[in-house]
Amino acid sequence: MAGINLKNIHKSFGKTPVLKGINLDINDGEFLTLVGPSGCGKSTLLRIIAGLEHQDIGDVTIGMSLVNQVRASRRDLAMVFQSYALYPHLTVEQNMETPLRLRDMTTFQRFPLIGCLFPGYYEAKKKINQTVDQTSEILKITALLDRKPGQLSGGQRQRAALGRAMVRHPSAFLMDEPLSNLDAALRVHMRAELADLHRSLKTTFIYVTHDQAEALTLSDRMAVMIDGELLQVGPPEELYKNPLDKRVAEFVGSPKINMLPAEINNEGRITSLGATIRGQSTTYIGSGFVGIRPENLKLVSSRQSPECWAFEVTHKENLGADVFLHGRLGRRGFHGIVRETPENAAELGRGIRTFVKAVPGEALLFDANGKRLPFKQSLDMEHFMVMAEA
Amino acid sequence: MYSRALFAGYWFAAPAILLMIIILIVPVLIAAYLSFTDYSLGNPDINWIGIQNYESLFNRSSYKKMFSASLIYVGITAPLSIGLGLGAALLINSLKHFKDLYKAIYFLPVMAALLAMAIVWEFALHPSIGIINKTLSLGCDSWLESVRWYARSCATGFPQWLGDKSFTMATICFIGVWQGFGFNMVLYLAGLTSVPRELYHAAEIDGASSAWDRFRLVTWPMLGPTTVFVVTITMIRSFQVFDTVEALTQGGPVRSTYVMMYGIFEKGIQQNLIGIGSAITMVFLAFVLLLTLIQRWLVDRRTFYS
Repeated sequence: MAGINLKNIHKSFGKTPVLKGINLDINDGEFLTLVGPSGCGKSTLLRIIAGLEHQDIGDVTIGMSLVNQVRASRRDLAMVFQSYALYPHLTVEQNMETPLRLRDMTTFQRFPLIGCLFPGYYEAKKKINQTVDQTSEILKITALLDRKPGQLSGGQRQRAALGRAMVRHPSAFLMDEPLSNLDAALRVHMRAELADLHRSLKTTFIYVTHDQAEALTLSDRMAVMIDGELLQVGPPEELYKNPLDKRVAEFVGSPKINMLPAEINNEGRITSLGATIRGQSTTYIGSGFVGIRPENLKLVSSRQSPECWAFEVTHKENLGADVFLHGRLGRRGFHGIVRETPENAAELGRGIRTFVKAVPGEALLFDANGKRLPFKQSLDMEHFMVMAEA
Repeated sequence: MYSRALFAGYWFAAPAILLMIIILIVPVLIAAYLSFTDYSLGNPDINWIGIQNYESLFNRSSYKKMFSASLIYVGITAPLSIGLGLGAALLINSLKHFKDLYKAIYFLPVMAALLAMAIVWEFALHPSIGIINKTLSLGCDSWLESVRWYARSCATGFPQWLGDKSFTMATICFIGVWQGFGFNMVLYLAGLTSVPRELYHAAEIDGASSAWDRFRLVTWPMLGPTTVFVVTITMIRSFQVFDTVEALTQGGPVRSTYVMMYGIFEKGIQQNLIGIGSAITMVFLAFVLLLTLIQRWLVDRRTFYS
């Protein structure tokens, strides 16, 4: 087991920069997800940690040792690939034995047919079999050991690939979108199993995904990467509640945050699409953005205050416990999403005009470059007064 | 309705079936029939002599020599040209530059007409004025003489590559390998492109740090289907060797290179013994059929090899 440290990692393919100076500390035993849209460089970063690619600049440290010059096979990491990359000519059992045979047997002992003539073969073989048996019991694939990957379903292959990674008790597991080839129901199921596995193994997991639901549910910390930059690292709640960058706010959360253009005048008052936002900006003057999560927009029946927007429903998504209302917000008809309970949204349908209002204190303010802006402290006071009014 | 559709199907397949019958099945049947007769071209009548041709084929020592010559040729040429083809493919595949140049160089002998090449080889292998023995004799009076064979050859003359019966088969095999391995190389190069890159990465992560381990774990098994095909094709091609033998040795000396194809040619065409020629042909076809069946069986066995 070991922590992993990345220092100023740069990587370009040809003239295209893919990673632009990544710094990341991964703690021992942590479940860290690297999440970002496709093409953001997260898989490349994982492969650099694994040693399958080499960084142009920067240092990778595993445990206490610098591994820049250490090849992948000597880094004591295990990796689960998106396509599983099981050896198709070997049975599940042989697939799982492979890393152990390569580590614990000599080249001569591994030789086909005559390998068993070399001393120490049977002891090594026995130990390997024990480990494989134990691992397959944990993963509940004992019945599949004699099959070849071609005879397995997607979920079973996934388990076999996990088994092959686990037998060696590596210092860290690297997973490159391991669930993306499974169907939706199985994915949710395997998500829970992976979380259990991490709890019982207590090993470092580095998990790459573009699916923020996986990242939010699985990880101790998630690292959001966009365009080769690491924008923010933190626990999932932190990234959801307190994104430091507009792109992070937009990437994390489903449905997407409502990102509305805003003006901040020299008194610090914030207006967006004709409505005022409660709270004052401290330092910034000019145009920026206000981000409001769909659950922080509430329906109101009439234009009670200057904080309300007109809202015309264009589409209603009913998910059972929640209803997402898509519609045109404000005078300029900006696309917005409101999350409501089915009771509150029962009356609403396509074409109905109503009003919405931001929950006070829950708006996020960004400057024109997408950097997060703080609100003035007095907000809390104001917030308190609103609560008192209610 | 159904039977009419079936009938239409036969109509569509009819040209192909007809052609196959005319140019493949009928000639084989005729050859099979002739192999039980003593027919020679020009004879007015055909006498049925039963299995007499086959009897002499399997009993007379000259024909036994023919089978052993063919088997020796296949036994030497096929493994060597497969091994060299695989080796060349792996080496070329690992190159960054000049891949196409090397491919072209190794593939040239395949494209060249073997008969023309055989004449070039005949000059090169000429015992006194050939470039090979001339080059070898340059090494006389040097440290090379410490090899006993070399010293003896310097004294008594370098071997007659095509005239000495202990060297002819090896020479013919060498030319066969030289000519054939480029084809296998191309097949293996095609096979190598279909090996998933991720498997190499998985092998690397699993701890396969030596080239041999990666070859054993990924390359060789993934090339399995290609190998089955290459082995069959090469063996059939080796059984069919004729041009070099005809041009260089005419089956000699002392029948040391008297291979089956040359036997068919000599008996059936030169000596006009159609009956015995057909009998050799049938045995030859049986060999090829056997190889093909083995290949089919191996291919079928690997069906879930996705």
